[in-house]
Amino acid sequence: MTLRLTMLGPIMVIGSILVLFLWHIAVGAKSIPILTVAESLWHFDRTEFDHVVIRNLRLPRAIFAVTVGASLAVAGSLMQGVTRNPLAEPGLLGLLAGASFAVVAAVGFFGLATPGWIPVVAAAGALGGAVLVWTIAARVPGGATPLSLILSGAAVTAFLGALITLMQLMDEQTFESLRVWLTGTLAGRRMEVFVWCLPWFIGGLIIAIAVARQVTALAMGEETAIGLGVDIARLKIIVLICVVVLTAASVAVAGPLGFVGLVIPHVVRLLVGSDYRLIVPYSAGIGAAYLLVVDIAARLVLAPAEISTGIVTALLGAPFFVWLVRTRL
Amino acid sequence: MNDALILRSRNERLALTIPVRGVIAACGLLILVLLIAMISLMSGSYPLSPAEVWQTLMGRPPEPTAATVVWQFRFPRLLTSVLVGALLALSGALLQNVTLNPLADPALVGVSQGASLAVVAIIVAFPQADGPLRPLYAFGGALVVAALIQWIAMKRAGGATMRFILTGIGIAAFISAMTSALLTYGQVNQAMSALGWLSGSIHAAGWGEVRSLSVLSLLMIPALIWAVGPMRALRFGADMATGLGVAVRPARIVLITLAVALAAIAVAAVGPLGFVGLIAPHLARRLVQTGLGLHLVLTGLVGAAMVSGADLIGRAMFAPLQIPAGIVTALVGVPIFVVILLRSQARSQL
Repeated sequence: MTLRLTMLGPIMVIGSILVLFLWHIAVGAKSIPILTVAESLWHFDRTEFDHVVIRNLRLPRAIFAVTVGASLAVAGSLMQGVTRNPLAEPGLLGLLAGASFAVVAAVGFFGLATPGWIPVVAAAGALGGAVLVWTIAARVPGGATPLSLILSGAAVTAFLGALITLMQLMDEQTFESLRVWLTGTLAGRRMEVFVWCLPWFIGGLIIAIAVARQVTALAMGEETAIGLGVDIARLKIIVLICVVVLTAASVAVAGPLGFVGLVIPHVVRLLVGSDYRLIVPYSAGIGAAYLLVVDIAARLVLAPAEISTGIVTALLGAPFFVWLVRTRL
Repeated sequence: MNDALILRSRNERLALTIPVRGVIAACGLLILVLLIAMISLMSGSYPLSPAEVWQTLMGRPPEPTAATVVWQFRFPRLLTSVLVGALLALSGALLQNVTLNPLADPALVGVSQGASLAVVAIIVAFPQADGPLRPLYAFGGALVVAALIQWIAMKRAGGATMRFILTGIGIAAFISAMTSALLTYGQVNQAMSALGWLSGSIHAAGWGEVRSLSVLSLLMIPALIWAVGPMRALRFGADMATGLGVAVRPARIVLITLAVALAAIAVAAVGPLGFVGLIAPHLARRLVQTGLGLHLVLTGLVGAAMVSGADLIGRAMFAPLQIPAGIVTALVGVPIFVVILLRSQARSQL
């Protein structure tokens, strides 16, 4: 069983990512045959209009979907493992709101224009949001239970959301470009921000894979982890940094995309069991495929109009959340 | 006005049980609301002195402009905010008492979002059907959501309170996403009119809103007076209520429907305003401990003061910029929500 899974699983995941990747590029306002898509990737022809569209618009978007999907799913899986909370997720626990608030404040309010600083600002915001939510939840009588975490996450998100709206109202012109970004979208994002975020994505994913073994131990309970020689405090800090890094880079590229980090780890655990050495890479792969599918749907469902990707992730993720509440609590 | 009428009818019914402190608190709140009203009528881009406002209200305006400003813009807006605040606060109080959950709020558990979705769907899909029937659509949408939450949360016995809130948060996220999708899909100008309404702004309120709000609020008063009896019993839990002769299930359904109706009327007029229904009952309780009937009156007054105050702050603080009252209530409401969360007893939620 394990052997078959280790052989077959990665091939299936990578294969489906490749197929979805090509399909994602083919779909759009003008649908392009898959063959042309493949051709443009291997034999790029500057004079072909379709090739230029693919290279400049569609290929970046597909790459964004893959990296952001993988990062958010991995961040969610680490959070769920370390906190042993089935409802942990960057969006529900205030990280996305904190990061978006910080970016909006820095870009819109203080006129930050250097793309290299955006992930830094987002990381500071995500860290602030996470710490705030955690502090409130830990002080609630009964401690940081799933309920108190979700409630304090909802409160912090509502507060930061109101502040963002307030800033938008005070200077509508500057914020026009941020308005769409705030609903979570992969459309029209600039490549230079992504280039600056790439080291963050790679670093975060490497850390995630490196700590996966210890997270498995911690997910079995703190006593077990201590018995297996895990330095819990150190591990928690590393995971927090890793989650913040991954979330910040995702927000900088695509805005707040909720529920991706909630849905994927649960699906992955159903498939591969409870070993985080498998959960982390599979979450990355399936998360990437999931966001590709979601982004295809966002462009197909109401074609020729396009919905924000964040709306689709919420439409799919929120019922899943309700289902989790019913079955896991 | 809604609050004053409730006060009078309460007095006839509960004349013997009203404690002096409660009445004093109610009078104090009434004075606070009147004070906010006076300041609201005075301030704005065309400032008026108290004497001028008084003259205008008495029908002897110092200038014709003053009459227009007060009667056409400020007065309907003020009345709308007062009525909406009272309705939302009462809706929250009912929800909290029926679900025995100190954190229940029409906006937190998705009832307001359901009302918004129904109204936005109508504005975008059938713009000609919008108008006086709007409260009805809002009620329909809110009722569907409330039924859905009840159905999902009550499926398994035990721990239903906690699941009620979490289910509500999930459903609220889902419905907000649906609303956003509708706004993307709809024609831009219709979407824009829906968007303005969605930020919880009292900005555009006119006499039309005041008329439908006050008629519907008046209709709700007998229902509220009736509701006090079963609510008082339900507060002690389902078993005790059964012992006291209340048919628990029907009473619960009727009370939740009533709470949904109150929220829907308010949402139909000004869009979703968060945290009022959550906080007003707690503030009223902290102010003075009273019986349930007077508590509802106090809650309504606190809600009225909150929303009219929020609207006043929203338009005076960063003038000439207009901050929607919904933003102000959220900014003030969230910290209070956190305090309530921190002080809540573990057993009441978990």
